[in-house]
Amino acid sequence: MISLIIDGIIFGLQLSLLAVGLTLIFGLGGVLNLAHGQLAVIAGISAAGLIGAGVNVPLAALLGVLIAGASGLVLDRSLMLMAYRYKGEARLLLGLVLTLGLSLAIEGYLNYSFPLVALSISLPILNVTLFGIVVRTTAISAALIAILTLLSLFLFLRGTFLGKAIRSIVQNEVGAELCGIDQASVRTLIFVLGALMAGLAGIAQGLTTSLDVRMGMELTILALIVATVGGVRSINGTLAAGILLGVVNVFASFYIGTYLTYIILLTTAGLTILLRPSGLLGYWT
Amino acid sequence: MINKRSWPHYGALLIVGLILALIPLATGGSPYYLRLATLMLVYMTYAIAFNIIFGHTKQLFLCLGALAGCSAYLSVVLIRELGLPPVVTMPLGVLFASSLGAFFSYVSVRRGLGGIFVGVITIAFSLVFYNLILGLRVFTHGEDGMRTRGLGFGLLEHVLASYYILLAILLLSLLLYHFLMSSRIGLAFRALSDNEKIAELAGIDVTRYKVFAACIGSALFGIAGASYAQYNGFISPAIFSLVSVDIVVFIMVLLGGMGTLVGPIIGAGVFTIVNEFVRPLGYLNLLVYGAFLVVLFLLFREGLVVTLGKMVKLRIP
Repeated sequence: MISLIIDGIIFGLQLSLLAVGLTLIFGLGGVLNLAHGQLAVIAGISAAGLIGAGVNVPLAALLGVLIAGASGLVLDRSLMLMAYRYKGEARLLLGLVLTLGLSLAIEGYLNYSFPLVALSISLPILNVTLFGIVVRTTAISAALIAILTLLSLFLFLRGTFLGKAIRSIVQNEVGAELCGIDQASVRTLIFVLGALMAGLAGIAQGLTTSLDVRMGMELTILALIVATVGGVRSINGTLAAGILLGVVNVFASFYIGTYLTYIILLTTAGLTILLRPSGLLGYWT
Repeated sequence: MINKRSWPHYGALLIVGLILALIPLATGGSPYYLRLATLMLVYMTYAIAFNIIFGHTKQLFLCLGALAGCSAYLSVVLIRELGLPPVVTMPLGVLFASSLGAFFSYVSVRRGLGGIFVGVITIAFSLVFYNLILGLRVFTHGEDGMRTRGLGFGLLEHVLASYYILLAILLLSLLLYHFLMSSRIGLAFRALSDNEKIAELAGIDVTRYKVFAACIGSALFGIAGASYAQYNGFISPAIFSLVSVDIVVFIMVLLGGMGTLVGPIIGAGVFTIVNEFVRPLGYLNLLVYGAFLVVLFLLFREGLVVTLGKMVKLRIP
């Protein structure tokens, strides 16, 4: 029972890590990035490739994450630039369709070129006992990655000047512009940050279970669900929703079965959109 | 109803009907190409339906395959489990799909969710559908799929006859589209796709028209899906997946031209041929789909019909 809860929380942290990037990009850029899961896959597959080529594991993981970040940078400076020319609904629609197309393209290419590559990291020590419960070290390190990343994100957003600038744009685009905040460069920064976090989430996925080339769309949808349940503009909400849905997911798949679990998660997202469009902890902007 | 401005439309309908009616001759008796042509007719009907939903009322439905699949699966499962005749189950399936579409549209318009959330809700629904089909193995046989038998009385059983039945469905859908667009409803669609707020101010009931468009479009998806299921002799979740229906139909409508009469038909025809070249590439077809989607949406919003019309200085409907 307790081990189920722990598993759920660890999975939930990973979900939050994935979804926070989506939330930030949506809140700031006004674009719902449907290629988000593919960035996680890019990180994982690059890391797996590097490990296969003999690079040691931490370095490979780091390089994988950096490659995801670089892909984010390229994406922001090329395709997304077209979307940023428009405002509001038109930008959303264009961004949605462009990232959907890109997501398909990446999935097609990766599946074609590296059909059998999968990232599955194992650590030298398999299990440790914490408070009488046996926990896998890989799960602990995945959770640590998630916690540290989310914590530093919070500190960055709360404590630094740049973080405050970012939050001001999320709250009021015009007001921030009037205060002299350069939106375009902040947007690029956030896009890259989001991509880096997606990459970390991919590595964490490789630590806990395994990550293969076909999982991009699934990861995107999971992130989308968490982000909508948490409120697509609220970072705290995303964190809470991630942990909640992670626990629900683990319990439901333990007691009910995988397919119905997916349906429960998706229905939760659907109902949240219908009942509280701004998310569980969301606020109207 | 018949006025002078409609003549080009009827002309276009006649030409489309004639060309499509002659295609079985061009296949030279090859069963493979005849099957491909029949599949093309189904996708053309899908494209007309998507054109009504997205092209005219800007509702980005990403559950097209799921709508067609709901109708197909419901009709087939009811035949198998309760022994009802297809004549009863197919309308039930169509009704189900159409009310689902109307529900999504009503909810999103009423709650003022905007285009993006329609996309998110419907993409979530298409995954719910897929997982339900896999999960309810007892009724649906999961990924293995089920065999279907046609309507009885020889309908949708013989390959060539089925082609003409599906062609009739397609032409009726086109006719329906034409009548919709040349009526007040079409006028309202054009107004609200230009600017919803102004349309609302001009006294157009935006909710009603959007829900109506979603309802009609989803019903067409239901009809096409259910009849394809009977014709094909086999259904599986893969036939109605996001990639094999939603993405392809989206590309077809973009390619041909949104909001035009023959655009979706031309788009579906052209892309069926493209798809034949892409098929041997395996997974790389996703790369091609993605590239098509991005390039068409960015640079080719007008579509083939308008572009060709400009080249030959003719207004193609």
